[in-house]
Amino acid sequence: MPRTRSILHVDMDAYYASVEVREQPGLRGRPVIVGGSPRQRGVVSAASYEARRFGVHSAMPMARAMRLCPQAVRLPVRMELYLRVSRQIHAVFKRYTPQIEPLSLDEAFLDVTDSVRLFGPAGRIARRIKQEIADELSLVASVGVAPNKFVAKIASDIDKPDGFVEVRADEVQAFLDPLPASRVWGVGKATNAELQRLGIRTIAQLRQQPRALLQDRFGKFGERLWELARGIDTRPVITDSEAKSISNETTFAVDISDTEILRAWLMDLTEQVARRLRAHQRYGRTVQLKLRFEDFHTISRSHTLAVATQTTRVIWEVAATLLQEALRKQNKAIRLLGVGVSGLVASPEAGGLQQDLFAGNNTAKQQVIDQLADQIQSRFGPAGIKRGTGCKHSPS
Amino acid sequence: MKLIISRETLLKPLQIASSVVERRQTLPVLSNVLLKANNQHLTLIGTDLEVEIVTQIPLEESVEGEITLPARKFLDICRALPDNANLNIETDGEKAMIRSGRSRFSLATLPASEFPNIEPMTSPYEFSISQKVLKSLIDQTQFSMAQQDVRYYLNGLMLELSPNELCAVATDGHRLALCKAEADLQIDETRQFIVPRKGVTELVRLLEESDTPARIQVGENHIRVDLPDISFTSKLIDGKFPDYNQVIPANPTKIVSCDREALYQAFARASVLSNEKYRGMRLELSPNQLKATVHNPEQEEAEEELEVQYSGEEFEIGFNVSYFIDALAAIKADQVQVNFTDANQSCLIHGLGDDSCKYVIMPMRL
Repeated sequence: MPRTRSILHVDMDAYYASVEVREQPGLRGRPVIVGGSPRQRGVVSAASYEARRFGVHSAMPMARAMRLCPQAVRLPVRMELYLRVSRQIHAVFKRYTPQIEPLSLDEAFLDVTDSVRLFGPAGRIARRIKQEIADELSLVASVGVAPNKFVAKIASDIDKPDGFVEVRADEVQAFLDPLPASRVWGVGKATNAELQRLGIRTIAQLRQQPRALLQDRFGKFGERLWELARGIDTRPVITDSEAKSISNETTFAVDISDTEILRAWLMDLTEQVARRLRAHQRYGRTVQLKLRFEDFHTISRSHTLAVATQTTRVIWEVAATLLQEALRKQNKAIRLLGVGVSGLVASPEAGGLQQDLFAGNNTAKQQVIDQLADQIQSRFGPAGIKRGTGCKHSPS
Repeated sequence: MKLIISRETLLKPLQIASSVVERRQTLPVLSNVLLKANNQHLTLIGTDLEVEIVTQIPLEESVEGEITLPARKFLDICRALPDNANLNIETDGEKAMIRSGRSRFSLATLPASEFPNIEPMTSPYEFSISQKVLKSLIDQTQFSMAQQDVRYYLNGLMLELSPNELCAVATDGHRLALCKAEADLQIDETRQFIVPRKGVTELVRLLEESDTPARIQVGENHIRVDLPDISFTSKLIDGKFPDYNQVIPANPTKIVSCDREALYQAFARASVLSNEKYRGMRLELSPNQLKATVHNPEQEEAEEELEVQYSGEEFEIGFNVSYFIDALAAIKADQVQVNFTDANQSCLIHGLGDDSCKYVIMPMRL
């Protein structure tokens, strides 16, 4: 029996909107919606709890949100600001553990198993993190504490906003049993419909299903369902520096079929992946593209380079070609786009770095460009500098 | 279909037509070769959907018809028969019978109607060039083509037609080879097209060291090369080749010249201590001297010194030794000129006083 782990899931409440309210205290208590302009078919990126009461939620078309809540204050997305604040939040995390797995700007898993001897029980660490974020950054976090990622994530969500839920190892089953089966990780619309058909509504009911039946119905994922229903989740918290692959993906609020817009998103995602590679001094050889179509059909395509790279331009060229190939064969709209790099190594090639011939693709020059871009971004945020291709999707 | 043919006349054309047939096939009929007989000719066709080769053999007696036979087996049978054998080939229901002396083979067939046709070319541009010249253009450049690069337009050889010149360019992004030959092309403006890797390697095997002309037709999506009794067709790569002129060093300042063979031999010896992963070679230049050093991860070291003509300043630069060896092997002149700008920029190699063939190599940072 492996020792019991202590995993925290920290999730900021109405993050973008809360940061905006903090910046402009006059907005406190008023419905605030952050997102693109309704006239340009913008969508809601975040809504304060005051706005949510009117039925506004993220990913909703802004025009609709403003109809539901005409008195709301609409603010444009200020990504650089949220990124800066996110770094401050991470600085708080780092006081307690180096084992941090960021999921997005406002969400992260922390493994504090080894921090307990220094700082006391996991619950106390979680409360201190929540308190320090409130005191120092005037922001509210919901925190879940549990023996694994799956339960911690549910725990942080269940008492939102301003939530704090700790689930001890011996309470996991009692905690999970009454919850709807749709809470289980990976159960989306399709799986849930299938479960409903089988008469499974709660996690308790899911747990009572024979393992063989779940495997039969859901294949490999059935095995996972069987485990999760029992609160078994052995996935470790993976920090970027020990990752075997680095990837970023995004699900669009509205399915996209415009190639130029997809390319722009792809450039942004590529830039994020490449920056993470550089931040951790890693080079990757295999570039992967992930696409989920409007009908939920998901494909991934990959290409392996002769030489490992951390250069944005090189990853971009591969990713863009893979995208072009994939779109040539399918003309469905895209729901999710992701790019990743795997086959990570600490140096590109044992014997030296082969330079590339084509102008603008020159490795040395590209390295300087990447370095400068990274410096500018770390001072001014992601919008501080953008590559030409990446500018076209911004709603602002 | 029924025909009689000697092994001697059949073997070579059959080998040529079967050479494009891939061992692994998605469509069963693609592992077959198509035979078409009329009163005068037997036509053999092999294809992999990208490249098609058609060969023709005169016939004395035959009954018209067409059928496809498993290429590999048909060829192996033909090879294994004695030199002076005659083959009697006849279709018999869904089988084909091959008789020769006291040997009999009954082969499975597929109907000719299943065999894929390459679409006919619409309004192609036509020209002729001697086989020898075309062969040499390809031989001197093809080793620089990329292999399965994501920049798919590099996985082939670019041919550029201009009014007085045919130019072949290949590059894998690390090095580039360019060769030009005079040609009288009735053309108003420059035109480029890219022949995929497989087409290039197949075509070069068909070309002979002779002055016999090759008739070339270039259509929207295909290139066809007609040789005596052989017709070769390949798809073209649909893409734009990068601007190669831009990567040829414009003003190299450090000019080295030396004996080509001596430099080739020195690099070939030094490369013994490189390995597949690590092909780095350090070049140190000082007045009238070139020193090449190769290391490997086992801490072994090769060092070569060579007297050269060089009067510039001392400097160091790193290269993939194989790229240099490939270029030096392709150059025909006795003396070569190697032109450097600095340690971060590409170098240009060509025969001394001859720039019909140019080789550009990007350095490595060692």
